[in-house]
Amino acid sequence: MHLLRFIVGRLVVYALVIVFALTVLFFVPRLGPTDPVEAMLAKVSSQGAYMDAAQVDALRRSLADTFGLNGSLLEQYWAFIKRIVFTGDFGPSLSMYPTPVMELIWNALPWTFGLLLTSTLIAWVLGNFVGLLSGWRPNANSSRIMEGIAICLYPIPYYILALVLSILFSYVWRIFPLTTTIRGAPWSWELVSSIVWNSFLPAMSIVIVVFGWWVISVKAQTSALKEEEFARYARLKGLGDGRILTRYILPNALLPQITFLALQIGLMFNGSLITEILFDYPGLGLLIYTAVLQGDFNLLMGTISLSVIAVATATMIIDLIYPLLDPRIRHR
Amino acid sequence: MITIDKVTVGYGTAGFIKAVDGVSLSIGDNEIVGIAGETGSGKSTLMRAVYGDFSTGLRIKDGTITGRFVDQKNGQVIEAPSSRFHRLWWDQMSYIPQGSMSVLNPLMKIEAQVVDGLPKRERGGSRADLRRRIADFLAGFGLEETVLDAYPHQLSGGMRQRVLVAIAAFVNPRLILADEPTTALDVVVQKKILLMMVEIQRRLRNTLVLVSHDLGVHYQITDRLVIMYKGQIVETGPTAEIFANPQHDYTRNLIAALPRLHGKRSVDRVGEAP
Repeated sequence: MHLLRFIVGRLVVYALVIVFALTVLFFVPRLGPTDPVEAMLAKVSSQGAYMDAAQVDALRRSLADTFGLNGSLLEQYWAFIKRIVFTGDFGPSLSMYPTPVMELIWNALPWTFGLLLTSTLIAWVLGNFVGLLSGWRPNANSSRIMEGIAICLYPIPYYILALVLSILFSYVWRIFPLTTTIRGAPWSWELVSSIVWNSFLPAMSIVIVVFGWWVISVKAQTSALKEEEFARYARLKGLGDGRILTRYILPNALLPQITFLALQIGLMFNGSLITEILFDYPGLGLLIYTAVLQGDFNLLMGTISLSVIAVATATMIIDLIYPLLDPRIRHR
Repeated sequence: MITIDKVTVGYGTAGFIKAVDGVSLSIGDNEIVGIAGETGSGKSTLMRAVYGDFSTGLRIKDGTITGRFVDQKNGQVIEAPSSRFHRLWWDQMSYIPQGSMSVLNPLMKIEAQVVDGLPKRERGGSRADLRRRIADFLAGFGLEETVLDAYPHQLSGGMRQRVLVAIAAFVNPRLILADEPTTALDVVVQKKILLMMVEIQRRLRNTLVLVSHDLGVHYQITDRLVIMYKGQIVETGPTAEIFANPQHDYTRNLIAALPRLHGKRSVDRVGEAP
């Protein structure tokens, strides 16, 4: 009963957050001075098309209809929310008319998801492992070397690192392709190897940058937990290092790391932008980039809404599974 | 059981900060020894050196601490300096810390924390069997079986302290060291836990060393009392005798500072805090 109320309460908050975000997304562009219909009309007439007043009026009405700009603001808002919440429809893309926005997003999503999820997880596991060991034995040479590497990697701006990797490994040494071209029939070995081959460099760039951050944060966690009273008590019980590390330090160190991981997975849709532009990777980031460049209003709305939903979903999932991981917040 | 011979203990690897200064003491079988003294008197440092907990820069500069244990199972005699006691931890000797909130792993159930570290001789039988024995043992401390499935944060301070006493006693050790085991508790709970510790000692006929700044605690349970001041032992003897006829000025002051039912307690003191 208690649990049910907790879950339902969390789901309600989740829905409210998304509706609130959609509301902001709806109103902000409409508070601005630009009118997309007039902008479109200006674009059409600037391209030299001649139309009489009746035709202009007809076009204006039909544009307003396609853009969902008919009726009062409140009516538009209600129609907008209804359309997105109940049908998940963001309308057609303006730059790739008449392909629906959702279709473009669904095509791009697996790429972004596959690339970022894999590389974030690899960096997380590696970073936690190295950070845990170097926090446990801060004076060992291997720990110092790993920490040195992490501190050097951590502050490099991501785009610099990605560019350096790209220049070194696909221009100077020509090991990896400069832009992404996927070949092969669906589900063939050729396709899989082509995907891995093309994704290697962008994935490496993410792993390297994020890895440094994980190492530093887990190391700080571990060296603090090592001095906790329960760690000392475990040592005075005569328990071995391995057992103290895996049963006492690791679970306590991982708790905050799991929160960070979920937030990072939620945020990765925004983070994908630079990676995908630099490596010409056909994911969501490239889609957002095109939408901005082409003034594709619907596509922009769709991609931004999706990233809001992604962050909200990630935090909700964490909130729901956290009580399973930490007994202290299980019984309120 | 434990022989402390003119031992000087302190901290630091480059410099050396003396905490215990040339102390000699012998701790025998089947007795409760109390070590009393104010904060900074060196009592906890001495206890750590006796337990063999040489971490955070603690080291013995002069003198020796040696132990002599008889293995309960094969009757073998183990003699070792305290620097090698770590092999005897949770086997021949165990330790009761002050039961603050963070002394038990917050993510482990109590049962697992009792089992973790147990020597082989106490582990025998199936897991269910072991659980049964632990539950029976905890019942002796007035703790229900549900405590085994609880996490530390679900227990009160008094329950946590009883669990810590139980964990140390379940090992069946020859020597139990307790560092301020009742300091954070109210006097009613304190009394209960002290009585349990006495009962365990009488039953196991082992040695209990109790470190506390609270003379009232020592008065209630210890057989023999050691008073420390500025890193040295200023007085030692049977507890009743020390309370009846304190020899050293510092001891007299400590006893005079105890709360009493009639009259005013003394507030004068010797020297400044170390």
